[in-house]
Amino acid sequence: MESYLAIKSILMATAIIGAFGVFYRRTKRLVLLMKRVQGRNAVVPDRIGDRVRILFTEVLGQSNVRRKVLPGLAHSLIFFGFLAVQPHSLELMVRGVFPAVHVADLAPGLYGGYLFIADILAFLVLLGLGYGLYRRLVIRPAYLTNGRDARLIIALIAVIIVTFHLINAFLMLPSIGGTGFDYGRFLTVSQALEELLELKTLSPAAGRIIYETTYWIHILTILGFLVYIPGSKHLHMLAAVPNVFLKPLEWPKPMIKTDLEAEGAQTYGLGKVSDLSWKGVLDLYACTECGRCEEQCPAAMTGKPLSPQRVIQDAKVDLLQQSDAILGRSFEAVKPMVREGSPITGDVLWSCTTCRACEEICPVDIQHLDILLESRKHQVLMEASFPPEMQDTFTNLENQSNPWGFGSDTRGDWARDLDVPRLCDRPQAELLFYVGCAGSFDDRGKKISQSMARVLKKAGVDFAILGEEERCNGDVARRVGNEYLAQMMIQENAAVLNQYSPKKILTGCPHCYNTLKNEYPQFGARFEVVHATEFILDLFRQGRLTLAPDAAPERVAFHDSCYLGRWNGIFGTPRELLRIICAGAPVELPRSADKGLCCGAGGGRMFMEEKIGKRINAERVDDVLASGAAMTAAACPFCITMLRDGLADRGSRVEVKDIAELVDMATS
Amino acid sequence: MANIGVLIENGAEGIKETHFGVITAARRSSGGVFFAFLLNGDASAAKTALETYGVQKVVGVTAAAADFGVRPELQAAALAAAVKHFGITGLLGLGSPRGRDLLARVAALLDAPLVQDCLNVNLEDGTVVKSHFSGRTTATLRLKGNPMICSLRPNSVEPVPAPATATVESFQFPSADCGRIRVKEVKKSSAGALDLAEASVIITGGRAIGASDNYQMLRECAEALGAGVGASRAAVDAGYAPHSMQVGQTGKTVSPKLYIACGVSGAIQHFAGMKTSKVIVAINSDKDAPIFGKSTYGIIGDMFEVVPILTEVLRKRRRQG
Repeated sequence: MESYLAIKSILMATAIIGAFGVFYRRTKRLVLLMKRVQGRNAVVPDRIGDRVRILFTEVLGQSNVRRKVLPGLAHSLIFFGFLAVQPHSLELMVRGVFPAVHVADLAPGLYGGYLFIADILAFLVLLGLGYGLYRRLVIRPAYLTNGRDARLIIALIAVIIVTFHLINAFLMLPSIGGTGFDYGRFLTVSQALEELLELKTLSPAAGRIIYETTYWIHILTILGFLVYIPGSKHLHMLAAVPNVFLKPLEWPKPMIKTDLEAEGAQTYGLGKVSDLSWKGVLDLYACTECGRCEEQCPAAMTGKPLSPQRVIQDAKVDLLQQSDAILGRSFEAVKPMVREGSPITGDVLWSCTTCRACEEICPVDIQHLDILLESRKHQVLMEASFPPEMQDTFTNLENQSNPWGFGSDTRGDWARDLDVPRLCDRPQAELLFYVGCAGSFDDRGKKISQSMARVLKKAGVDFAILGEEERCNGDVARRVGNEYLAQMMIQENAAVLNQYSPKKILTGCPHCYNTLKNEYPQFGARFEVVHATEFILDLFRQGRLTLAPDAAPERVAFHDSCYLGRWNGIFGTPRELLRIICAGAPVELPRSADKGLCCGAGGGRMFMEEKIGKRINAERVDDVLASGAAMTAAACPFCITMLRDGLADRGSRVEVKDIAELVDMATS
Repeated sequence: MANIGVLIENGAEGIKETHFGVITAARRSSGGVFFAFLLNGDASAAKTALETYGVQKVVGVTAAAADFGVRPELQAAALAAAVKHFGITGLLGLGSPRGRDLLARVAALLDAPLVQDCLNVNLEDGTVVKSHFSGRTTATLRLKGNPMICSLRPNSVEPVPAPATATVESFQFPSADCGRIRVKEVKKSSAGALDLAEASVIITGGRAIGASDNYQMLRECAEALGAGVGASRAAVDAGYAPHSMQVGQTGKTVSPKLYIACGVSGAIQHFAGMKTSKVIVAINSDKDAPIFGKSTYGIIGDMFEVVPILTEVLRKRRRQG
């Protein structure tokens, strides 16, 4: 026995040092990779207090994970139970190396209390694992990657937990646990196991052999797990917490601004994995292939080749495969992400509508769009590779500053009969109505702008428009990746805006709203920007609008625009408005608010062909038809076009109206 | 000897209508001989049509290679040699894919100035008119160097007959060096007999067409009109027509002399692709359809009633000559 303990001590020390050594080397390599990559657009960790608070809600509170009830619960059970087991396992390791040291004896009450909780939590892990297995073997949702990796991890954790209970059961035997610390007082599940297996009836020698075997299985599985983590999808155990800690604190976010005039810039956007920022790399590490993004992604659900989680995983595989070149600083040798045989293809990148459902649902706050949009930027600026039908749109934006190529001198024509002043004639106006391209040139959009103008007049708002001085806000060009064209238009607009310094800017189009509000500050144009729904609701609250006695529309559904809702968190305001102007509460579509389904037009998709899979607007129209709504309200000219087209395809008579139009109709 | 020439692309269906506009644009009042070059075509068969528009010499250009017709490099070399041989100071062709390809090659071989996609040319004073900024401005460019080589945007110049008497000649290029390029196959899109971008009249069916078979009605009318047949995005999305027929922002941008929109609502994405049409006629049963706000003439009525009547009238006229 003495000699066994001595050998055990040496073996244990060797195993621990070896496993931690390998773990250290592999982790260090991953950290080094984060340092070597050349992208320079990572976050600067600020507001540490807020970030610590996030750790409490999102990590300890599991607030993101729990948004899917059962899988979230299963995750929490595994998460807390697995963590709870570790101190005891560490104690067992210490005891393996130094048989005389019993940590439990130092503070028996404290350790006992811990063990009491850990014993119960550990058992709950098995329930969580059982559900995980059930999901993978029985439910099998399509978005859930179901590889060997996942099953191996479930098996490893199960072994760790079962051996944890077995070890504790044996420790209750005085012949093994000694007479010092009274395990029986604190253990419940393990005690039940001890009684079930009738361990007391074993001979001390047999007990000792089984205990030692269990002990070694437990410790070696944990150490093996440690070695396995950095190379597996369970790298998220290490990367998720820092990634959550470093997430953008403000939900509305601007696109990364590329310095196009940077001296010596060799490339723009994301062309190779080595162009990622260190935070981008951490994003890749943090993904655990839960598939929630894929489940929400409008492209993935309509049969496009894009799945956000696959992009993250494919980029991660690419990064690890090319890590030697990156670590060796031979960046020339790093191959482009989009290349012959690469799973990330042009069709993958161009399928994205930038609806941001993936980022919104991601439990570990991965910024999928940074990768997708920066890749598009590279494709457009460096490779001139983009859907050919975008060429006309780019040319039109360049020449006429609107996607359709109408003469820019006709931008203000929609207001011709409405007597709306230009800001140049009325610079003191309280409000600048930034109309946008759709509102200025598209017949459907013009009607919305005219409604908006009438509503403002009814409320006696002192407003003006830019007219011919207005340019496209830059959203389409920017999200398609033509950063150069986008910046050109943004700078022109910014110069005009700064010249007039409007007190407040109103937009009807959520794309204009998002860009003006969140991205123009990157270009030195900071103004108070409000969306039509916010502004009109305020007008009602101030009593400046009166409802007409006419019959209000009934059964009106609201379709959330991605750039109003998910990008800017405006969900309640439009619904509140509808409650004022419609009879009865708005009808909720099957997929709404933060889980609202994109219309298919975002990210410049409005101006591209949709040739692969089911059309996204058709998928969205399914929701409208299923809801039984008689009318759909939206607050975005692009959504309105997509919904109207989709409904027309079905021969449906459901009307699609902008909220501004409904307000115009409902007020006198 | 300051002669001028036009490059005529003649295929199986004879000389494309748009070439007569090219010939009209190339004509000038004074001096020299007016040549028309045909590559490997039957020069004498083309004579009658060409002399109606003022061509004085029809030259069939060939080379010793059997597959001359599919060798753009050899064709360009032969054409360049002919240009030199006949002392051509100005060569004009059609801005079609083939024309743009050949003329660029010829210009490179002769180290001559080249302007593609002109709206008009004046071979007399060596100036061309080009469109800039999506047609918002036009620029007149003066070309230095000899010969000047230009391609004309299809349908930008109205053909005007100016009868002359032509002689037929042939020019045999001595080389048989075919170069490295061989045209293996030309795939025609299924858009119909006429390429939409080159058609001077287009008749388009929108979502209201209801079924792909119903395009036959438009094709019949198009035949009577000498028009190309287009489709709106809604009709293409609904599967009634192939994408090659799509007119609009994400399809073809067209600017015909006459655009007849049948059952097209006039959504902005469609309008963006045909807004430069000279005359727009809309046929739609919905009097509130936005297309009426954009059209020169509007017919409120069911396209399935209106179009057959139109076809009938056109056919009758044609029969009456």
